[in-house]
Amino acid sequence: MSVLLALAVGVLFGAAVYLILSPHLVRMVIGFGLLSNAVNLAMIASGGFTLRHEAPFVDDSQVVANLMDPLPPDIILTAIVINFAVGALFLIVAYVVYRDFGTANPDKLPPPSDAT
Amino acid sequence: MNSLALVLVIPFASAVVLGLLHGRPRLERAVNLASCLGLTAFVFWLLAYVDAHGIQTTMIAGYQAPFGIALVADRLSCLMLCLSMAVGSIALVVSLSTVTADQERSFFHPLFQVLLLGVNWAFVTGDLFNLFVAYEVMLVGSYGLMMVGAGRAQVRQGLMYIAINLVGGSLFIFGLALLYALVGTLNMADIAQRTAELAGPRAAAVTAVSMVLLIVFALKAAAFPLFFWLPDSYPIVPTGVNGYFAGLLTKVGVYSLLRVFVMTFRQDGQELVLEILLVLSGFTMLLGVLGALCQWDIRRVLSWHIISQVGYMVMGIGLAANAGMARVAVAATVFYVTHHIIVKSSLFMLAGVAEGLTGSSQLKRMGGVVGLAPGTAALFLIAAFSLAGMPPFSGFLSKVLLMRVGLADDQWVIVAIAVATSFFTLLSMLKIWSYAYWGKAPLGAPFAGWRLATAPAAVLVLATVVLGLWAQPLLRYADAAADEVTRPQAYIEAVLGPRQTARAAGEAP
Repeated sequence: MSVLLALAVGVLFGAAVYLILSPHLVRMVIGFGLLSNAVNLAMIASGGFTLRHEAPFVDDSQVVANLMDPLPPDIILTAIVINFAVGALFLIVAYVVYRDFGTANPDKLPPPSDAT
Repeated sequence: MNSLALVLVIPFASAVVLGLLHGRPRLERAVNLASCLGLTAFVFWLLAYVDAHGIQTTMIAGYQAPFGIALVADRLSCLMLCLSMAVGSIALVVSLSTVTADQERSFFHPLFQVLLLGVNWAFVTGDLFNLFVAYEVMLVGSYGLMMVGAGRAQVRQGLMYIAINLVGGSLFIFGLALLYALVGTLNMADIAQRTAELAGPRAAAVTAVSMVLLIVFALKAAAFPLFFWLPDSYPIVPTGVNGYFAGLLTKVGVYSLLRVFVMTFRQDGQELVLEILLVLSGFTMLLGVLGALCQWDIRRVLSWHIISQVGYMVMGIGLAANAGMARVAVAATVFYVTHHIIVKSSLFMLAGVAEGLTGSSQLKRMGGVVGLAPGTAALFLIAAFSLAGMPPFSGFLSKVLLMRVGLADDQWVIVAIAVATSFFTLLSMLKIWSYAYWGKAPLGAPFAGWRLATAPAAVLVLATVVLGLWAQPLLRYADAAADEVTRPQAYIEAVLGPRQTARAAGEAP
């Protein structure tokens, strides 16, 4: 399972880096989405996740065994919310830049020293 | 002590209330100022309390550490909180005379409280994942303030600032995932306790993983080679708030480096990271100041100086690699951080006033501030000399402390770079002085509110003079804070409780 996860993380990371470096704002937004998913999968792998694990809900009477570590999913939930919010903000700013400068290519924007 | 949560609850509640008060600027100003001043008073009380009674902790919702979220106030955290709130209040007072109605309509006041929330959170958390959340809250606040009532330039730079920080945030979680897989906890006290027992390949793996966090914190602190985003972003922040940005935001990165690499990671071979930091600090200092020398915009000059000053603080952290010197090195760093936050914030605020008086931020189009407002000019001169390290101001003392540690550790190269950087800093400050302050004033209507905007910065300038002449209280405090950071037994006991620590000690052979 961890080999599969590692491969998925690697592919997602590679695709994300490619998209973030490409000269188009929309591709950058998609790249950031992939990057956060790659990182979230890495987080799942870090909890030692396998398909044999049970969901971590415990009744007092039952014996606790073979449960999944609940902390990584917990962290991922928070991370998804944060990445969603910041990603949405980035998308809006990218749109405003496109509206104001008439280009979605970051390389074609005027240099910062002229813009200030 | 449950009142510790107030440092987060007050800014959060204020942000919500200020959001609801949108459209009533006078009320917003009053609430924002009252909240800032109230919290400032509280954190100064907290500092005195922690200094007298030891480390205070709060477990959110009552879950025990390391499972629950721990808020921890030790001496270092308290000092940073005090600096954050004091500079925040002063920046707000300056902003009240410079902020435009348009910026206030664009939620200036709630965003300011969100920024304070994020920064305070980063200083008070005892958990690495919470540090990530604090970073993101802080970034949302700073994106917002950077683009409040924004023109084209702000939006263009804001985009790059968000992009760079999105990458940083993702790397942060990635590093945490690897760390969790290796150590099994993200609570700083717990990590400190568990990594202290590590040796061999597992310790080497933890050191390797900590490099990912090194990239994240170095990006935040704007250390070499990850400083390129800073000189383009900071100049666009509105005057007043930019004093807070300049003083506090990169220092959150420096604080994280100190907290995580000196206190939290204690495995065998951890000194390697600090030695890398020492090398990076040399480049940061020198390249930062050389960058400043070739700029012609007062805000960009000062932004490049932030980078070179961060180099000094990172140098202090790097010198902690030698275990025998760790305590003095950290104490010197804490002193330097205090000095730097005060001086850098005041320089940015005073530069904003000079800009308002002359109507430009381009050095070649400025001039004559000495004639227009001699008081402002004198304050700038004191702050500039303090930044360059001239006696009798706090800059002199903080540089002497750092270099003394460097010489005692036989690190001649880094000390030589530090001296050269200090010389170039003076040169660059003289350039600002001769172009912006001397000469003939350009024609035009001078900025009416300059007296109101200068007075708060004067408080900061006074602080650098006092710290230079009467440094003993802060030196003693910095030394005690360094002791807590370099020998974290008290911190671990305060967070995990004596029961857990005793059990761990009992298990040891």
